Amino acid sequence: MDAKQFREAAFRYAQKAGCQGAELVESRSKDFSVGVLKGEVDTYTVCRTLSLSLRVQLDGKNGYATTEAAENPEALVDAALDNARAVGSEDIHPMAGPAQYPAVTAPADALMGMGEVEKIDLCKALEAATLAQDPRVKRVSTCRVVTAEGEVHLHNTLGLEAHREERISCILVNGILEDGAEVHDGGAFRARGESLDLTGCAREAVEEAAMQFGGKPVAPGRYPILLRNDAAYSLLSAFSGMFSADAAQKGLSLLAGREGSTIASPLLTIWDDPLYSLNPMAFDDEGVPARRKKVVEEGRLLTLLHNLKTARKAGVSSTGNGGRGSGGIGVSPSNFYIQPGEGSLDSLMEKLGTGLLITELSGLHAGVNALSGEFSLLCKGQLVEGGKIARPVAYITLGGSFLELLQGVQYIGGDLRFSLPSGSCFGSPSLCLAPLAVSGQG
Amino acid sequence: MIERALAQRVLDAALGTGGDFSELYMEDTESHSISMLNGTVENASYRRRRGAGIRVLKGEQSAYAYTAEVDAEALLETARAAAAILKGERQAQAGPFDSVRRGDYGPKLPFDAIQNRRRIALLERGTAAAQAQSSEIARVVAGYGDVDQRVLVCNSEGVWAEDRRPRTRLSFDAVAAQGEEMQTGAERPAAGKGFEAYETIDPEEAGRQAAKTAVTMLHAPQCPAGFLPVVIDGGFGGVILHEACVHSLEATSVAKGNSEFCGKLGQQIASEKVTAIDDGTLPGEWGSIRIDDEGNPARRNVLIEKGVLKGYLVDILGSRIMGMEVTGSGRRESYQYAPTSRMTNTFFAPGTDDEEEMIATMGEGLFARRMGGGSVNPLTGEFNFAVLEGYWVRDGKILTPVRGASLIGRGAEVLMAIDRIGRNMWMGYGMCGSRSGSVPTNVGQPRIRVTSMTIGGKGGKL
Repeated sequence: MDAKQFREAAFRYAQKAGCQGAELVESRSKDFSVGVLKGEVDTYTVCRTLSLSLRVQLDGKNGYATTEAAENPEALVDAALDNARAVGSEDIHPMAGPAQYPAVTAPADALMGMGEVEKIDLCKALEAATLAQDPRVKRVSTCRVVTAEGEVHLHNTLGLEAHREERISCILVNGILEDGAEVHDGGAFRARGESLDLTGCAREAVEEAAMQFGGKPVAPGRYPILLRNDAAYSLLSAFSGMFSADAAQKGLSLLAGREGSTIASPLLTIWDDPLYSLNPMAFDDEGVPARRKKVVEEGRLLTLLHNLKTARKAGVSSTGNGGRGSGGIGVSPSNFYIQPGEGSLDSLMEKLGTGLLITELSGLHAGVNALSGEFSLLCKGQLVEGGKIARPVAYITLGGSFLELLQGVQYIGGDLRFSLPSGSCFGSPSLCLAPLAVSGQG
Repeated sequence: MIERALAQRVLDAALGTGGDFSELYMEDTESHSISMLNGTVENASYRRRRGAGIRVLKGEQSAYAYTAEVDAEALLETARAAAAILKGERQAQAGPFDSVRRGDYGPKLPFDAIQNRRRIALLERGTAAAQAQSSEIARVVAGYGDVDQRVLVCNSEGVWAEDRRPRTRLSFDAVAAQGEEMQTGAERPAAGKGFEAYETIDPEEAGRQAAKTAVTMLHAPQCPAGFLPVVIDGGFGGVILHEACVHSLEATSVAKGNSEFCGKLGQQIASEKVTAIDDGTLPGEWGSIRIDDEGNPARRNVLIEKGVLKGYLVDILGSRIMGMEVTGSGRRESYQYAPTSRMTNTFFAPGTDDEEEMIATMGEGLFARRMGGGSVNPLTGEFNFAVLEGYWVRDGKILTPVRGASLIGRGAEVLMAIDRIGRNMWMGYGMCGSRSGSVPTNVGQPRIRVTSMTIGGKGGKL
């Protein structure tokens, strides 16, 4: 049966079963990925996927069920009903009705309309460009071109009918450099409008690896830190759950009840902007219109991120951050980023004087505790002395607490950079920070 | 899931452009999950994942296509899509299925026959036990999950293999709070069984243990930094083996020369005390598979014996590149991933050392009682992981619990620096993320000691 028949049958059956509401999200995607090694196609993946995600409302409770098989809608409704009956929480989670959505312009995509053969050639050229960067490059461990086209249809029994298309392309490379007994790797990506920048991507990957040669720890202690833009957005991403009103209302965020108070340095402003031109989206996963908002303004927490449930509980409007996860509708950031200041990484190094430039943080899924706000992470970087790079640093950990780190922001660079675009996308410029604890075999 | 005649047509269609091997993977997986906060159910969900993935190999080249639509036309189109990249003349034909393998592990109590109230009761029991442990427990987040995965793998070389993989898991995250400060403890028992798993899994014990860790950490000072001896307790402590070593023994890294352990078979890569095993055959374990996701039977693989490297974890593609036999290690999260070499239940074999002695003679250092997750770069062996419950040891005696520690090092160095392995081995349960997605794995070890490691954190003073 087609998706429309499935939806109509599911809604009919749900209403007959006594549901006050039903909602179906139909997601389809068509993805392509090619990997090249030694001038040959090494891996090649194509797919078509479908997912039908149902929510029913029964006596004010939501129940969820998802399937990839467009058959037997009644069984899916029954599973969702069972789940609605299991819910004990009294929190009401409303559904969105029809709304006017802001117009969004799809971002430029350099790989739009490109055929498979051209994409494969592009991937081969990316490998060649990487190998040509430096005589120490031995091979690539990853060299890929990826394009994904998705569409989402959101319908519910309140008459909501929303549709959006998503298209993402990127190139990724990871180069391996050898010199004597030392081996290092470094990676880079370019997405959407920049997906044809092979040379820039290759150069960045090789530079990332090259700058690690001779890296060793520094003596344990507290060091002023310059967190490079990509390391900064990774850390922001790892702690972004603190800004969820859902977490706050459950007593699982240090930011609970802190709206209106100062949580960070007055230099710091954080945006959640679903309309940001790099990765715009007209509505969230609940069908709530997208809206641009400051989350933190000059250090003051203005709002947490809300979906319809948390907004109702708090007596505010949804911020348009409803996000569908595997367990139901929660809260997720859109394009969540720190507002840039001024100046390049070099000028921030001058401001740092002596300290550590951190270029990579590892193990973010394990080494951060989003609840206590603490982190201790393996990292790489450069020792900076007199405003200049003195030598590479490796095998050290950086430890601190995220809120203290935000309070200790000293300077903010102008070099705003974003993670690979997807549902949630994180951005930051490079940040000069008050001293943090560093450990290593000194 | 599919008629054999159709499967053979699909496999044959995939070989039309010069591939020398084709494989069809189909799955139909149902899962349930429930989340609870402080004893009240917040959400419950059901999911059915169903689809097919078709892989074509030609020498060391690999093409993969997958689809959520599994009717004959969609499967044949998917086979042709995978084959499209090769653009050659047909070289091989799909043969009849003469190698039938069945790993069917029927659950005693299938999940689809279980009412939600029985699932919820487990969460309520664990939550109540956690709350009763201490008045400082402010929140308890509990989760239940079960998965019943049915898979079929068949290939052009005549393999027809089916497996059924019931799994279930509880999680309890206890939050101890004092003023604005919060610390957590977590416990996540799991099994590769049907709902009968809860004849042996004790939710109360899990809830209590999570609460104990949270309260202990609430009163713990920050862990000092340093390069010192570390004792890592048994069970989930085996994550050190998983990260520091065995990821680097997967063909995914080794076959292309991207591992620090390439070309080291037969060499001493670890202290003589170390024997390390990956065993996918253990009945009822979370990380077990009877048939892997390439249709090969799971095995017990001795990776390191008395410090000497004995083998790698090898999938079909890795086997072609490395010229080694497959080890029953081909795994994938779902049909949306091509398989790669992965771990199952990975552990250090028990040794002969006394568990108390290794602390009493360590001088000053860290006793890592509960470990969190970690990660590794197989190329360089640099790994890191988090310590969820640690104790500072001075003069061989436990001085105080400490919070916020992490451990870093290089795999090759830390393996050589293991100077004690205890007698009692047990396992913990995790999810391992890699190229072919997230798969359930066990990690295990007896208590071990490493002569020195970099201990990170916020640099506390004791």
